[in-house]
Amino acid sequence: MSKQPSFTVSHLSVSLPSGKNVITDISMVFESKKTYVIMGPNGSGKSTLANVLMGNTKYTVKGNLYFGSKNITKMKTSDRAKLGIFLAFQSPIAISGVSVTNLLRAAYQELHPDTKKRDIHVHNSVLAARWKSSDMSLSELLETIKKYALFLHIDPMLLTRSIHEGFSGGERKKIEVLQALVLQPKFVIFDEIDTGLDVDALKIVASGIELLQKNGTGCIIITHYQRLLSYLHPDVVSVLKNGIIFKSGGAAVAKQIEKSGYGNT
Amino acid sequence: MAIPKKSFIPAPYAFGFHKPDEYIYKSGRGLSEAVIREMSAQKGEPAWMLNFRLKSFGIYQKKQMPFWGPSLADIQFKNLFYYLRPVKSQAESWNELPDAIRDTYDKIGIPEMEKKFLSGVSAQYESEVVYKSIEKTLHEKGVIFTDMDTAVRKYPELVKQYMGKLILPGDNKFAALNSSVWSGGSFIYVPKNVSVGLPLQAYFRINAANMGQFERTLIIADEGSFVHYIEGCTAPIYSTDSLHSAVVEIFVKKGARVRYSTVQNWSTNVFNLVTKRARVEEEGIMEWVDGNIGSKVTMKYPACYLVGKKAHGEVLSIAYAGKGQIQDTGGKMLHLAPETTSRIISKSISSGGGRTSYRGMVHIAHNATGSRSNVVCDALIVDDASRSDTYPKMDIHETQSVMEHEASVSRISDDQLFYLISRGISVNQAASMIVNGFIEPIVKELPLEYAVELNRLMDLEMQGSVG
Repeated sequence: MSKQPSFTVSHLSVSLPSGKNVITDISMVFESKKTYVIMGPNGSGKSTLANVLMGNTKYTVKGNLYFGSKNITKMKTSDRAKLGIFLAFQSPIAISGVSVTNLLRAAYQELHPDTKKRDIHVHNSVLAARWKSSDMSLSELLETIKKYALFLHIDPMLLTRSIHEGFSGGERKKIEVLQALVLQPKFVIFDEIDTGLDVDALKIVASGIELLQKNGTGCIIITHYQRLLSYLHPDVVSVLKNGIIFKSGGAAVAKQIEKSGYGNT
Repeated sequence: MAIPKKSFIPAPYAFGFHKPDEYIYKSGRGLSEAVIREMSAQKGEPAWMLNFRLKSFGIYQKKQMPFWGPSLADIQFKNLFYYLRPVKSQAESWNELPDAIRDTYDKIGIPEMEKKFLSGVSAQYESEVVYKSIEKTLHEKGVIFTDMDTAVRKYPELVKQYMGKLILPGDNKFAALNSSVWSGGSFIYVPKNVSVGLPLQAYFRINAANMGQFERTLIIADEGSFVHYIEGCTAPIYSTDSLHSAVVEIFVKKGARVRYSTVQNWSTNVFNLVTKRARVEEEGIMEWVDGNIGSKVTMKYPACYLVGKKAHGEVLSIAYAGKGQIQDTGGKMLHLAPETTSRIISKSISSGGGRTSYRGMVHIAHNATGSRSNVVCDALIVDDASRSDTYPKMDIHETQSVMEHEASVSRISDDQLFYLISRGISVNQAASMIVNGFIEPIVKELPLEYAVELNRLMDLEMQGSVG
């Protein structure tokens, strides 16, 4: 098996539309299949980093991002998704009339396209909306969605409702994990996936992330707290503070922060 | 995330589409009593219909143009042809159609036969066989489904009793115009307690002057009956006529239910000014499902006169206004009896400088006790060049009644776009998913094939509108 590409952040600086500098010259390497934790206090630039990795164009970016040897600094968000980068949002937005299933269906077709060229001239409206993915039939996809929904204790009724519309905080986070499981990205960035979760929901979300780890997905976990980390055994823990990598090391770093906070370390 | 403002790519009507005039009969430009007499004679109409036309023409000449709503100054009344009997009003062959229109048909994915029908290649949509079997079933049940001209000849008593009784020629200038020069349209009578299982569609109505300029439709649903009528289609209809002004009258008798679905996609040179009204008796139900995508200017406010106790009226409408388009639509509910209920749900999308307006009226009469009305109008504005307005009118004369009105204006938010594109979806597809999601509550009320086509059409309209 060939080596999976790693995801490299090189001398990255980010400023807000207001001109305010949020991240200053950070460099990190995320290797495939490993788990990274980025901790930091409020306002340290964690969510900004998550958005910049996914290609949100509202920020001004200096420095470079590489996926393997490919420079993706200027790459469109949808193309980054196609490379295998996935962002689990901190506060995912609701979209009326777009169900979880419909979104996953549309996304799966984009991320796992039919490689065989078929140039069919379509006249029939039903055929026009045909399934275009190669490795899974539509019914298999629906089964897969249901299977993971069951695993994450998601009420199947939610799958056909407008995504995140009226969903509880816990449901939103689970739906984000569900999408990662179904879409099988190479890297998932979890932006504060653990905030606002009760103990039971936290365990379920953690088991979802564990499943991704087992499936060989690289995980980049952005969080305030140590509590999720006892489940996930991160390879590297980094601390982001005032826009710079303040500290980096093994799981012990997280424990130390839990004990003495961000201020005193 | 900033959305660069790109010019909206207009629907394919920009291409000039002209064909040689070829008519059996053609009136001169402009309208006069002589033109109306000639038209009536050509049709072989009875004297009472000619008199109706002439009386209406007198009213039309006196009536003022509407003093509200979008500007109609561009309508060249004197240059219009009011009556044409075309040999073939549409393209001679599929190949004659402009590429852009053919391309649109392909992209919407409408079936081959339907395309041929729409383009006029097969004027009868191979429907004769299908229609014959439907006609037989309808006939056995006593249902009459024919074109209006035939109805005047074959069922004069019914036509005389109902036509022009709900929308009087003097109702407004365009109702008067339609009453003087109407041609084509459908006539439906459903006897007591008969339920018509299949939706009746205008294009099963063979040999009728299809998609006429001044259509006149009359539906009478007798007590306890049900019928669903579908008018128009989602594919763009090219018309050389710049003014289309239809009148639709519907009589819903005690305990009957009528659903009238319209998908209007005229080319963007057309002024589409329509008067639609239903009279709903005790415990009757009237549902208007109305989609407006095409035309230059549409003015259309389907109305329900709820005259019987517990009568119910609904208007579910979608309007899309792209570059250069004005969709001025809404609904009217008149609660004239106790315990009547109504609902108006209006969803509009404006894009590329288009304008949508919701214009609605709810009237609850004194003594219409226990009546309820619920109005929801949501507008989605795609870019800064576009505009949406709401003109709700509430006219409540009964304290023991409930009137609710909700209105919202939204935009395709950068956050929603970013969320969808982060899943690998292109920005155009993301925009069309958001738009289709926005109209989904109404689209699901449409017959499946229409819903699918409407979704595909929105996909096309949203190409290049963001991103």
